[in-house]
Amino acid sequence: MIRFADIPVGSGGETRCSRCHGESGEVSYRPAAEIAAEIAMVCELWDELPGPNVALTGADPFGHPDLPALVGAAVEAGCRRLCLATDAVALRSPQNAGGSLMAGVRHLRWTILGGTPGVHDVLVGTPGALDLSVEGVRSFLSIASEETIPVSVTAVVPVCRHNVHDLPAAAGLAVDAGADRVLLRLDDGGLDLPAALPWIVAACDTGVVNGVWVEVEGVPFCLLPGYDLHLADAVRQRPGAKPPVCSECALDAVCGGAPAGASADQLATLAPPVSAERLSVSVLRARGMGER
Amino acid sequence: MATPPLRCAMLALNSPGYRSLALGYLRAYAQADRRLAGRVAFETLDLDTDVDPWWVAWRVLGLEPDVLAISVTCWNARSVYEVCRIVAAVRPECAIVLGGPEVGPAAEEVLAAHPEVGVVVRGEGELTFADLLAELAGGGKAWRVDGITLRRSGSIVATPDRALVANLDDLPSPYLTGVLIPVDGGAYLETFRGCPHRCAYCFEGKGYGRIRSFSDERIAAEIEFVATAPGVRTFSFIDPVFNLTGERLRMLASLMSPYVANGMRLHTIEVDIERIDDEAAELLRSAGVASVETGPQTIGADALEACHRPFRADRFAAGIDALRRAGISCECDLIVGLPGDDVYDFLAGLRFVLRLDPGKIQSSTLHVLPGTELWERAAELGLEFDREPSHEVIATPGVGFRDLRRAEVFASSLQSAYRARV
Repeated sequence: MIRFADIPVGSGGETRCSRCHGESGEVSYRPAAEIAAEIAMVCELWDELPGPNVALTGADPFGHPDLPALVGAAVEAGCRRLCLATDAVALRSPQNAGGSLMAGVRHLRWTILGGTPGVHDVLVGTPGALDLSVEGVRSFLSIASEETIPVSVTAVVPVCRHNVHDLPAAAGLAVDAGADRVLLRLDDGGLDLPAALPWIVAACDTGVVNGVWVEVEGVPFCLLPGYDLHLADAVRQRPGAKPPVCSECALDAVCGGAPAGASADQLATLAPPVSAERLSVSVLRARGMGER
Repeated sequence: MATPPLRCAMLALNSPGYRSLALGYLRAYAQADRRLAGRVAFETLDLDTDVDPWWVAWRVLGLEPDVLAISVTCWNARSVYEVCRIVAAVRPECAIVLGGPEVGPAAEEVLAAHPEVGVVVRGEGELTFADLLAELAGGGKAWRVDGITLRRSGSIVATPDRALVANLDDLPSPYLTGVLIPVDGGAYLETFRGCPHRCAYCFEGKGYGRIRSFSDERIAAEIEFVATAPGVRTFSFIDPVFNLTGERLRMLASLMSPYVANGMRLHTIEVDIERIDDEAAELLRSAGVASVETGPQTIGADALEACHRPFRADRFAAGIDALRRAGISCECDLIVGLPGDDVYDFLAGLRFVLRLDPGKIQSSTLHVLPGTELWERAAELGLEFDREPSHEVIATPGVGFRDLRRAEVFASSLQSAYRARV
């Protein structure tokens, strides 16, 4: 529900499944002045409350040589919530964690590919990567707690055929590390969705029973009856986009959609939207799009 | 040989850092009662809810009380009942008297479920409790006291209701009598009793039915006492609506402003946000108000109707804007599980308050409290709730058990993300 404007600080090196996407490309960073100008423009043009909120994304911001200046520029520009999208390894250093917090960073988007080293480390291609990553998040949260700085950590899990079975463990790890939200973002057009659903459901339940919210991007309502709250656009900040293969349904305006590559065969075998009538009225109302 | 005084232990289990205003009133009134002078010795135990009931009982039993009087709310009731069981086992001759919003409206149920409890005081307690102590100290008959429910000859018996105190100034001030010592951030003042609203889920008005106010002179004296107490930099008012009327708000602002000039601040007073314009916001600022708490609780039309809550989105938003201009932070409260709402109504409420950027968003799950309309109409409305305190709703016709729990977790996550800002 809280919208962030994503501003890439560079490209390459993102935490993604190496089996799906190959080796991560060479890392390059944009000039600080250019990024700072973009931040200033976003803050100036921000037109809804709460905000302005900015997320520095793309290549890991901690690799940018001018990150402190960028954070300072964001605060100077009036940014209320500044988020860093990172693997968090750099936050193991108390200087980095403390410095970020003191400068104004309040949100982390922490990307993990699984909840176990056997999945995350293998898919990232770096032995020990998960432990270092968790250590970084804990360091950030520990200093924030000591300094009584309110912060929020979202564990982002790009979901693909290579890690789908590890989603419940990923939710559990996020809970254990101190995240307050998990975002499962489907990142594989060829994912066998019906086979993936039990893992997604288990991850949602793992989060809820441990007090951590799990959101799912890229799954239409019709696939997860009973779990629509985890999928609803009334919850998520990103507008849904249903693939062309979907037939028309009552939830077109709000559906979280399916992965872009989802096939008609996959979707055709599935049941029609569950409680579509009730759900559509409720969701549309929640979004101020319909009358009771 | 003189009869030793009746030893009366008064116990409250409070949120950490707070002292029970209710016990303060009870004790201040009883101590001023000439019938009890020299016949009853009082000791107050203001403890925190996180103290283990066994250690609470340890403290109570150390006082060797003849009477144990406990203020009970839905938040401390489970601990209170455990304390009662332990105390009764160790000291069966001690009369256990309960009062407060959790037990008063459900007195018979409480006595039936808790054989160790002897008496429940219903409603406003000051006069009733003093009368009861007078009877107990004199070896008299408790059943002659109005406003209580008690055991008599193996039955549970309710005596006639007691009329409300006509003139609140007849109740000695807990602060001015020295019964309550103000502590920074933990002192509360009460300027009136009752509530102008009739929200179906709320017992804040305590069934008083009408609003009775302390005199301006009494309010002024209490403000002066608390605001000049050593070490006190912040305190608050327990009134359900601080801006009850424009005239009253001006009076409170006027009384507070000299202390505000010296740095005194009020925290988390409750307001009717839809009646706050720039003038009212300025008065609140003059009164030292740093933050306020308000609804909307829900924006769902069916739930608003079921709970008798007025809501105008434009006026609500205007109130938040006025507060923002005056530099006052606002906490917007929402309740999940109200009758008539579904989970998307709750989400719509969250979205609504989020877009107002009030400062703080707080959601809670409905508690079906004794004495409220929802308590009475729960079956009719299809509300499944825990009969044991704290009476949290389990499921409603609009929101099932699992979605209620999901909504709680989602809201908690959103609150964290909202709070995390520069």
